[in-house]
Amino acid sequence: MAREWQFALPEKKHEKKYFGNLKAEVIDAGLCCHCAACASVCPVNGITAGDAPIDFPNWIKECVDCGACIKVCPRWDYTPKSGLGEYIEVTAARSKRFVGQDGAMVTEFTASALEMGLIERAIFVARDSNWRTRIVTIRTPEQLYDRKITGTKYSYADVLPALKDAVLKSEAVGFVGTPCMVTAVRKMQQAFKKFERVKLAIGLFCTENFYHHDLYNFLLEKANADLRNAIKTDIKKGKFIVEMKDGSRVRIPVKDFEEIIPSGCKVCQDFAAVDSDVSVGSVGSANGFSTVMVRTEVAKSILEYIREKDYAEFQEPKLEVVQKLCDHKIKIHPWPPEK
Amino acid sequence: MIRLSKVKTDPVENLKRHAEAIGEAVKQAIKPDRITVEYPRERRRYPECFRGFIVFDKEKCISCFRCAQICPANAIQMEYFDKAYPGIDYAKCIFCHFCVDSCPTGALNTSKVHDVAFKSMDEMRLSARQITRVPEIVREEKQTVEYYVDRNVWKLVRRRELDRLEVPPKPVKVRERKAACTEPESCLGCRLCANVCPQNAIKVEKCEVSIGEEVTGTGCVLQIQTDLCTGCGLCVRQCPMQILTLEEVGE
Amino acid sequence: MMDVVSYLYETFSSNMMDIPLIAPIVDFLTKIPLINFIVALILWKPFFAVIIMPGLGVMTLYLLYIVWYERKLTARVQWRVGPLEVARPIRGAIQTLADGIRYFFQEAIVHREAHRPYYVQLPILAFIPVLLPIMFIPAGSAVGIYTPYSIQLTVTFIALIPITIVAIGWASNSRFAYIGSVREAFMYFAYEVPFIIAVISMIFLYSSGDAYVAVEKQSAIPGALLNPIAFVVYIIAMLMATSRLPFEIPEADQEIAFGPFVEYSGILFGLVMVLAYEKLYIMTLLFTILFLGGWSGPYCPLLGDLNGPLWMFIKTIVVISILVIVRSIYARYRLDQALRIGWTSMLALSIAALVVGGVIGVWLS
Repeated sequence: MAREWQFALPEKKHEKKYFGNLKAEVIDAGLCCHCAACASVCPVNGITAGDAPIDFPNWIKECVDCGACIKVCPRWDYTPKSGLGEYIEVTAARSKRFVGQDGAMVTEFTASALEMGLIERAIFVARDSNWRTRIVTIRTPEQLYDRKITGTKYSYADVLPALKDAVLKSEAVGFVGTPCMVTAVRKMQQAFKKFERVKLAIGLFCTENFYHHDLYNFLLEKANADLRNAIKTDIKKGKFIVEMKDGSRVRIPVKDFEEIIPSGCKVCQDFAAVDSDVSVGSVGSANGFSTVMVRTEVAKSILEYIREKDYAEFQEPKLEVVQKLCDHKIKIHPWPPEK
Repeated sequence: MIRLSKVKTDPVENLKRHAEAIGEAVKQAIKPDRITVEYPRERRRYPECFRGFIVFDKEKCISCFRCAQICPANAIQMEYFDKAYPGIDYAKCIFCHFCVDSCPTGALNTSKVHDVAFKSMDEMRLSARQITRVPEIVREEKQTVEYYVDRNVWKLVRRRELDRLEVPPKPVKVRERKAACTEPESCLGCRLCANVCPQNAIKVEKCEVSIGEEVTGTGCVLQIQTDLCTGCGLCVRQCPMQILTLEEVGE
Repeated sequence: MMDVVSYLYETFSSNMMDIPLIAPIVDFLTKIPLINFIVALILWKPFFAVIIMPGLGVMTLYLLYIVWYERKLTARVQWRVGPLEVARPIRGAIQTLADGIRYFFQEAIVHREAHRPYYVQLPILAFIPVLLPIMFIPAGSAVGIYTPYSIQLTVTFIALIPITIVAIGWASNSRFAYIGSVREAFMYFAYEVPFIIAVISMIFLYSSGDAYVAVEKQSAIPGALLNPIAFVVYIIAMLMATSRLPFEIPEADQEIAFGPFVEYSGILFGLVMVLAYEKLYIMTLLFTILFLGGWSGPYCPLLGDLNGPLWMFIKTIVVISILVIVRSIYARYRLDQALRIGWTSMLALSIAALVVGGVIGVWLS
């Protein structure tokens, strides 16, 4: 128990408070990826996320100038991560007990980790009937049978603030996030030791994310597809597919979504979530199966457990397809961005 | 249809009970066992643990805010002089004495006064300065009444003397506790703990962070000065990463 | 004009009460021309009996006393103090006077749904059957109107009172008053028959309905010992009739919020409050005549004609004081229990009293 300790202050690039620096360098420069890591560590809870750009209203008066937001921001002093990353094993799998986006392997990993006792809580993203995202805390595998919780949502969700609350309450936490969120969590774990309680970080294959209001209005205008009547959204082979309640499908080429892609996604080159414990996505495996890239020993132990308990069936993945998409993302999102 | 069976009554027994009742009533009519206390000409002798008007000792208060937090009626408002002291709103106070129980240094205490009158609702909000002493009230009582109960027999004893209304404060077992940081590597550097400390016991000083011989950047040093720390726990509550705690300093 | 006055004066002074105690003052006052008329009026026996004793004047005194006494005694038995603060040195004795003055000044609210004429007039009308028996009940030689049927007349008037109470509840047009009236009607059925039979048994016993004959026949043994069954029946009927505990059913405070009189306030409330006490007074007067020897008592030569009324009054007050103790002891009966008592036990007892009365009446004559 220390009565005297030190904390480091990062270097300021402007003569303002630390949030002013963050605003100038990251948010106003169009680099912000909306991972909400800054919102999660802000000690006065002043940084807001949600379905709008990151902001700290009245930061001039209320920012306490601690520098925590800069320490955790993945876009501060940014060099993009890219490629397939290091991995121990790649496989394609389909869960036998859960129904998710493709093979429900994210759900399966979380459920198995809970059963193994590796984690006590997991932060998941659910949706309401408007397809707006909502954070849920998963404590037992039984909660994951809800189809509103499993599956991809394709809009921003405040996962990291909920992760911070869970870290203060529990010793072993897991979460699911996009590659930028996973990178942010690694930065948080380096800066503040308490985040080493995050024992499992599942990354998703990601090309871009959207603001919910943008996505909703775009689908309504361009394709007359009301998300309230949708039961599944998917991106396959360059097409955004919305499956409606009446069985019809709406297909829009992903290229048309250019106008609503946020600027922070346009500088990201990390397709396969290279910093995660395990990356999961639909690319590289057959329909109904998910590609699983196991990167650390923790994730390997979970995969062994799944194999042992026969919770999933396995196939051979096509890693070339994943590599092709990684290269594609580097090509379309150059760094530094062209003017 | 439900038929209620008639209650079996024994007429002799009944008659005996009637006679008993009438006898008791006549006895009471002649020599009543009255238990009425003729307030305000006399008052009941209250025990030492009576929950009455709350008396505040400024010297012992460490501004830990526990009394304001625990009050179930939200009757305590902290007022800021040099430190923060509690003021009690007697329009809301329910005399539960949770605040007296929760005070770690025994600054709040009870007394035997329970019948203070105010002329307006505003007067009932007493500030910390006004509750340092038992209020001056003109009292009419000339004697005290005490009940002695022995199973069914109640006896009133009237005495000419009046007992004191102030109650000597009970000694509180004060546990020395000081603040300490359990996980300095998780410190955000927000300095909210230093801001909230009422004794200003946490010092923030600029320094240079170094690894080995190399200076790698700027930073600050937070130091908890144990001689100033009163163990109030406000910093523990405030820390956003929950890394501060109160440590018992052994006697 | 002067003839009328002198005729009246003749009537008065021929029938004056003879009280040796104040005889000198009376003699002195008779000499003064105008005042002797007033004195003769006051001491005229019918006037004295009806207005002063045992009539209205003494009744007012009795009211002032009984309310205070009842509250104090009940409080003593219940370990309380009762009314104390009005006149502290005399332990609150003028509490009733204070209450009465307050009722005079309180607003008598007549609510919208009430039947206004009946609501206001009935408490006054209810006093007619209560106060008329005073004219017939004799006390010694002082009597309002002499009739050989005084006991029967008194019973008749007493039987009329519950009708007015039911009418009061009906005129109030409120649900508690309605329920209270219904209960009063039930109680009326319960006690009236045994009560009348008990009185008839005493009339058999004395073989006359004349109060003078009744008191004369009790010179050796009081009526209570001659016919104890009728004594018991009459007491219970008295409790039921004036709705005193344990038969306080129409006016139960905790059950029916004061029954038929719930809507009254102000002076009207004052009137209905004293109604029950005055009914009790009348029934106790009759009780004294029938069972306790009426106005007979140790003769005090100083008082002369005042003996009769005084002893009557003292016996009445004693009986009422004992009934107050009964009130402080017992709990309330349920309506069906009270009805059952009225129609089984009391009816049987009263018929037995009738037989006993007949037998002893034959033996006495």
